[in-house]
Amino acid sequence: MSIIYLMIPLALVLVAVAVWALVWAIRSGQFDDLESQGWSVVLDDDEKPPADKEEGEP
Amino acid sequence: MTEPRPACFHCGEPCEDDRFHVEWEGATRPVCCAGCQAVFELIHRAGLGRYYRFREGEGVRAPGDPEALADDWSAIDRNPAFRGADLGDGFFELMLQVEGVHCAACAWLIRSRLEPLAGVRRVSVDIASGFTQVEYIPEQAPPSRLAHELARFGYRPHLPLAGDAERVRLDERRAAMRRLGVAGLGMMQVMMYAVGLYAGDALGIGETARRFLAWTSLLVTIPVVFYSGLPFFRGAAAALRARRPGMDLPVALAIGIAFGASCVNFLRGQGDVYFDSVVMFVFFLSIARYVQMSQRQRNARAGAALARLLPEWADRLADNGTERVPAALLVAGDHVRVKPGRAFPADGVITEGRTRVDEAVLTGESRPAWRTVGDAVVAGVVNRDAPVTLEVRHAGAETAISALGRRMLAARGEHRTGLADRLAGAFIVAVLVLATAAAAWWSWADPARALPAALAVLVVSCPCALALATPAALAAASRALLKRGVLLSRGEALEPLARADTVVFDKTGTLTLGEPTLEHILLNPARAEWTDEQALAIAAAIEADSAHPLARAFTPGGTLPRAERARLHVGAGLSAHIDGHRYRLGTAALVGMPDDAGDEGIWLADDQGWIATFRVRDRLRDDAVEVTRALRAAGVELRILSGDDERAVSEVADALGITHWQSRQAPDDKIAALEQLRAAGRTVVMVGDGVNDAPVLAAADASISVHGATELAQGAADMALVGAGLAGVTTARDMAIRTRRLVRQNLAWAIGYNTLAVPLAFSGWLQPWMAALGMSASSLLVVGNAARLARPGS
Repeated sequence: MSIIYLMIPLALVLVAVAVWALVWAIRSGQFDDLESQGWSVVLDDDEKPPADKEEGEP
Repeated sequence: MTEPRPACFHCGEPCEDDRFHVEWEGATRPVCCAGCQAVFELIHRAGLGRYYRFREGEGVRAPGDPEALADDWSAIDRNPAFRGADLGDGFFELMLQVEGVHCAACAWLIRSRLEPLAGVRRVSVDIASGFTQVEYIPEQAPPSRLAHELARFGYRPHLPLAGDAERVRLDERRAAMRRLGVAGLGMMQVMMYAVGLYAGDALGIGETARRFLAWTSLLVTIPVVFYSGLPFFRGAAAALRARRPGMDLPVALAIGIAFGASCVNFLRGQGDVYFDSVVMFVFFLSIARYVQMSQRQRNARAGAALARLLPEWADRLADNGTERVPAALLVAGDHVRVKPGRAFPADGVITEGRTRVDEAVLTGESRPAWRTVGDAVVAGVVNRDAPVTLEVRHAGAETAISALGRRMLAARGEHRTGLADRLAGAFIVAVLVLATAAAAWWSWADPARALPAALAVLVVSCPCALALATPAALAAASRALLKRGVLLSRGEALEPLARADTVVFDKTGTLTLGEPTLEHILLNPARAEWTDEQALAIAAAIEADSAHPLARAFTPGGTLPRAERARLHVGAGLSAHIDGHRYRLGTAALVGMPDDAGDEGIWLADDQGWIATFRVRDRLRDDAVEVTRALRAAGVELRILSGDDERAVSEVADALGITHWQSRQAPDDKIAALEQLRAAGRTVVMVGDGVNDAPVLAAADASISVHGATELAQGAADMALVGAGLAGVTTARDMAIRTRRLVRQNLAWAIGYNTLAVPLAFSGWLQPWMAALGMSASSLLVVGNAARLARPGS
């Protein structure tokens, strides 16, 4: 059973990493929009807007 | 005349004629106007045609002329106050509110158009609110350029006035998410150690290992209590200071006592520790808190939608002509010029000119009214005919329409608490009393067992099943309703909806379609040479250039004769020359008929006299009769509260067999009528669509906005119908009744379980691990039961 004295601190380190990752993800806005990113897989493929698209009028 | 017109492929509005088409995926699709056609072509040519495949709902109608919009926005380019936050590296962050964002495809379209522009770095779009953040260099990509680009694709950008508020909301949301995440991860850990401790109790465990597990539990619990649980302690402290105990107080007490006692036991080295209960408690309450916050933010956004009704720009009279200024910067005493077709930017008095104004937005009255020098107009009302000068009396937050929005939010704020809230509050108090009683009893009987017994009561009654009973059912109901075309935005509204005995409808736009349809043509029998078609073609030609809402009623197919020298007769109608003949179209007086010949109609005459009369009426929604009949059959009393005049309301009421109706109701009157009904002990459901309905929608026990409702009404209502008819009202009511039954089953189970388990814990018979097992099983049962709602049928 003495293995738990190693495993549990390790688990705590992992949790700390998980919390850090979560905070980082939230801070960088990854959870702000949970919908449109999923669609980007379907939408953003080879059909790019033409490169010579007009630059718009001032 | 009333056969359905095809929906525009781009914006979904009915096409008035078949002049405009687009080619898409090998088929010809109708569009309603040149604007929509241009937007389609642009989207298609840019290789973004897949937008049409993935979007949900229709696009917005092309917002007029992008050039004019860019022209308006050029004032922003010169005003550094509107640049947004300086990011330091030459980039600024502009917060725009974009109208017309419905779905992921819209967000994608906006991103893929703006991001390639020179000087734009990053674009993010929030689908729910339409708030769009753009990181840009003002010199390279001025705001007017961004606005122009958005407008070319059919989206209408609005001034970033609410930008700061949105930033605060975003921070609040992120902080809540962090707290929830820490509580969730902490809970997983502590529960894991708790399994070890409970298993140790049952199978035997060394004292060192036991201490170690307790130590780690404590270590993980500390951040959960003091970080994730902080809002509860703050709330409790605020409640104490204000001497108004709220829900936070018992919650904070429970967390504090359970955590404190566990720490004491842990340090003493004897007695049980309840860190698992503490973290679970914090986690579940944080979820509830997060959901509440999301709802509150949605309400606040509905308030922000108000800003869109007001024009952003005003033409202020200056020494040399006019200058364009943001409407928010107007002050009382300014004089502004308002062109026809534009909304008034502020409340004020007309000092020059004479025009018709469309007040539908405020009063629901569908016919334009005349306003001239000395008459007061309010912001948001649309100027129809002629340019006028307005002396500003109230601007910005002091306008009548802003007050309307505040009233709506206030009605929202004092919204009745649901059954679940009341129960949960009572439940927590009961648990606290019981725990105290257990402590008192045992300190008299056996002081050594006082704390363990008191804590056992707290643990075993961990309100998991109770906390889940209602949300699980509401989540299932909300999913099921969405499949049936009802978008539920406030789940608690299902409870009053289920027991509602009165349904109040708005008329224009709710029971009816809200747009005039030509119903009947009466020809002058003495003028046999005229046919319906000829008369209609002449009338349509005269009305073709008119912004009058009734002009929309004249929509014959084919080409129209050309009307020349069209003239507006103030308060009466129009005249024009067609093929050398002069025609007049308007009131009975204009065509020289006696006024008592019936004013309900539009009269057409030439120089020889009366030709025909067109009867125009706002048509009922297709299923209005069936839905009202079904509701009445279910024993619900129906009422109409409308801003329209008596005649129009009684006509609709008669057609639907509704005996209780009131006409000419201003928003305040509607609220008063509603309060009267509620004071009489009725539970009232409000169904509406207009801005003027928003406060009363917010004040009703439950409220539903119909398809095509204004954004403000949708924000104020508890649920929105996605489909065109009214059938969703009965669907929602049926679902609400099923949900209520299910919630009762769930609550009965959860309370039954607790009444059984708490006495056992009170008497010290219940081992904590048994309680944990029972608690989980009971939660699973509750969730499983709720899933039945999503099943079709019954």
